Amino acid sequence: MKFIIFIFLITIFSTHAEERLPLLKISSTSQEYNNAQPWEKTPTITHRGIGALIGKNQIITTAEMAANATFIEIETLDSKTAMPAKTIAIDYESNLALMSVIDPAHQKLINQMEPLKIAPSPKLEETVEVYQVEDSGRILLTKGIIRGADIVSSFVDRHFFLTYEIKASMQSAANSFTLPVLKNGKLIGLLTSYSSEEQLLDVTAPEIINTFLQDANNGKYTGFPSLGIGISRISDPHFRAWLKLDDSQGGLFINRITRNSAAQKAGIKQGDVLLAVDGHDIDRKGFYQSQSYGPLYWAHLVRGSKKIGDKITLSLLRDGQSLTKEATLTRQPEGIIPSHMYGKAPRYLIKGGFVFQELTNSYLKIFGEDWQTRAPIDLLDALNHPEDYEQGRKRLVILSRTIPTEATLGYERIASVIVNKVNGKDIADIPSLVEAFKSPDENGIHTIELDNLLKKLYLDAATAAKVEENFLQRGLPSLSRIKE
Amino acid sequence: MKFFISSLICIGLSTASSLTHAQEVLPQQTKKTTTQVKLTSEVKLSDIYKSVVRIEVATQNPNYNIPWNSGKFGGGTGTGFIIGKNTFLTNAHVVSNARRVLITMHGSARKHPARVLHIAHDCDLAILQVDDFTPFETLPHLDIGIVPQLESQVRVIGYPVGGDRISVTRGVVSRIDFRSYAHTRSDKHLVVQIDAAINPGNSGGPVLQNGKVVGVAFQGLTSADNTGYMIPTPVIKRFLTDIKDGTYDQYVTLGITRFPLFNPAMRKIYNLKQDDPGVLIARFYKDGPVDGILEEGDILTAIDGHSIDSAGSVEIQGERVDMSEIVERKFAGDKVQLTFIRDGKEQSAEAILKPFPAAEIYSVQYGKRPKYTIQGGLVFQPLSRNLYVALKLNNPRVRRLFTKYLTENIFKERKDIIILTNVLDNPINSYISGYTGNSIESINGIQITEMQQLHDLLNPETMPEFFVIKCDGLNRPLILPGKDIQKHNQQILKTYGIDKASQLGN
Repeated sequence: MKFIIFIFLITIFSTHAEERLPLLKISSTSQEYNNAQPWEKTPTITHRGIGALIGKNQIITTAEMAANATFIEIETLDSKTAMPAKTIAIDYESNLALMSVIDPAHQKLINQMEPLKIAPSPKLEETVEVYQVEDSGRILLTKGIIRGADIVSSFVDRHFFLTYEIKASMQSAANSFTLPVLKNGKLIGLLTSYSSEEQLLDVTAPEIINTFLQDANNGKYTGFPSLGIGISRISDPHFRAWLKLDDSQGGLFINRITRNSAAQKAGIKQGDVLLAVDGHDIDRKGFYQSQSYGPLYWAHLVRGSKKIGDKITLSLLRDGQSLTKEATLTRQPEGIIPSHMYGKAPRYLIKGGFVFQELTNSYLKIFGEDWQTRAPIDLLDALNHPEDYEQGRKRLVILSRTIPTEATLGYERIASVIVNKVNGKDIADIPSLVEAFKSPDENGIHTIELDNLLKKLYLDAATAAKVEENFLQRGLPSLSRIKE
Repeated sequence: MKFFISSLICIGLSTASSLTHAQEVLPQQTKKTTTQVKLTSEVKLSDIYKSVVRIEVATQNPNYNIPWNSGKFGGGTGTGFIIGKNTFLTNAHVVSNARRVLITMHGSARKHPARVLHIAHDCDLAILQVDDFTPFETLPHLDIGIVPQLESQVRVIGYPVGGDRISVTRGVVSRIDFRSYAHTRSDKHLVVQIDAAINPGNSGGPVLQNGKVVGVAFQGLTSADNTGYMIPTPVIKRFLTDIKDGTYDQYVTLGITRFPLFNPAMRKIYNLKQDDPGVLIARFYKDGPVDGILEEGDILTAIDGHSIDSAGSVEIQGERVDMSEIVERKFAGDKVQLTFIRDGKEQSAEAILKPFPAAEIYSVQYGKRPKYTIQGGLVFQPLSRNLYVALKLNNPRVRRLFTKYLTENIFKERKDIIILTNVLDNPINSYISGYTGNSIESINGIQITEMQQLHDLLNPETMPEFFVIKCDGLNRPLILPGKDIQKHNQQILKTYGIDKASQLGN
């Protein structure tokens, strides 16, 4: 099989017709917040890539190119015109973004180009073309063949979308962060990753792009739907026997239901076995037979072409009895611990030297590469079992660290502790914390209740105020951020 | 967070010895025997050398990864010295997990078989006896002295690495401190630091001043040169007193977690003036000595009449020391007078001290066979410090149970936290993967509280159709079929070279 592949691995130079393709260079500068000191940002990073015009002043690229962007510039391939641009729609989960140039003169220039059409879904083993641009502006074209289709998470952890695996031998060229992939002059997808060792590319499928574009052109962008279940495989014959599943059946064990999710509202329960989705039988490893791609992971039936509000039929087994449930798909409830913070600023409050923050996945990454085992156990427990902490909370507020000051004397070692109440008021998020700190007791003392060995901390409001004033004088830009 | 908790736990668990008081309670045994051969500073050095013996130990160290195996055979040498008739003092770590102990006199080739009479892991001391004391009869018995002064000179005698014969080094006492004993990793007592290097083989040897023992050399510091630590005489004397009744009863504890009262706002809330005494009681252990006496939020102001400052220190005979030192000098059954403020009113009560066995989960265990039980190829072992370290357990729920075992009173509900440590591959369990390192919450709906109970549940008289085994924090249960399980068990034991399907005692 490998010998056949090599025939397709030819890089050829562009023809005149390809020079007219509506491809554009994108350069985006981004900056993230420093989760360890949320009042600051980290140094800037610049990404370069190639976008494609797919509608009137609509340039498609990956969300990775647009995430946390502070400045975006779009250039024609000959680099003659540089055009400041902005993001008009972004979906971090599927890793897609739509940009447009800002200046009316630039818009006119862009709109002289003929937008690309989205290609129909290709078949496996078909040939596609990856477009790169050399410094000179010359197009570099690499052919590759689609070897497989799978559900892949390309940007935000644990969000999986239909992606093609393409075998091709690519050259590294200047603009190769995100690249358009075409077939017969139509856009098949965007390259999201390339392994030079294995010569494999990951490319977003046109189904996903179409769903994204429909949503984006609908006015307000809502995003991909979700069912809200966690599953585990049931290949274990003893486990199957216990579930009263017979050997002809496949199925997945539902081990978790997200609170307020489509699944919960549809009456699906933890412990149910998912046998089929919209009539597609699911095997014991979680695959169904897709018409175009053969075995494909079941999640595509939810996130492939469905929209918010669409209905989905689920065949289940509960206590050995078959039943059918209809779920109306919704957005995945964000829960108290957001899975990402792209495009948002972390909220915080500094009170007398105590730093309060909301727990997020990005925050936990400050504990290093092994954060999933090394981060403070209380925080990991909240991440793994948010249901135990949801009561009365929108977010999980933690006392992330203690800066030694006059006001925090004796408390220096207190860090990464979950906050329950302040001055007797339940803490739902940073805004409610800010509100609670407005009312110390009659002696001017704040009471902070913690989920910790030491249950209560006390802070003198007057000393804290003095310390805070000092912080501002010493270059801290602000004592709090209320708006994300 | 981790730092915060661990420091508090240490305070709670720590036990200490007195700096000055214990020298008055000289163990009778030592007194009597030393009269036989009076040892004074005039005694020639070579005589003292003879009383310092080389200890050769063959060990068998259990393997917590493969608990049914015999463990690794190994060995080492250390030092010991005669403190009475057929009484050799050395470190517990020298003779831990020992299968054979041999004692050699200075300048002699003969090896005398010996055995461990008492071993105190929590203070790293042990007493050995030889089968025949006759060859040692004429040797002087070393006398236990006092705590040496800072900057005073001491001599370390022993058999460290680098040669076979006795070695003597000189050093100066550079620090007297309350710190960790490496042997169990969880105990803290008084320690004297000297600037003479203490090397492997020195362990258990005497540190002398004016012809008297002022300490037992026991640990060094790998990150610093010329730093050695010795167990000072108050700890030695407490050990000798404790074993007088024939058994070692361990250190006792108050079983509290304290928080210093430095913060001005905190002091205002508790109505404390600038110089008022007291520390905050953050937690106490259920069933511990102060259960029913102290409550969370009490301010402990004095212990046995010694006023406690906001950092938790007391003054004993002119020295400012941690309040644990009051408890350190006491024994099981001894009383301690506590003065505390609750709701603004001063109260006083007496607590009876006792050891706290649940705290052992944090101590390295020696001389014990690891417990386990195997059913259907699933290996279950109770959580201990040895297991936690050997298996590098990092499952967040298990970490949480381990860290909060005492402070959240988990030990009350779950005497043992039982871990699924291994799956021995066999057709009966071939689809079970990814579950090792989790703790077991229930079996067939029954909450698991201890090892014997788990073993009994897994070995009923009539096998159920299924064993439904639930791990903490996981919704998908493990399923083991009861049918034919015995047949598979026999096969598993045979294939994996396992002698017994379970080991429930030590």
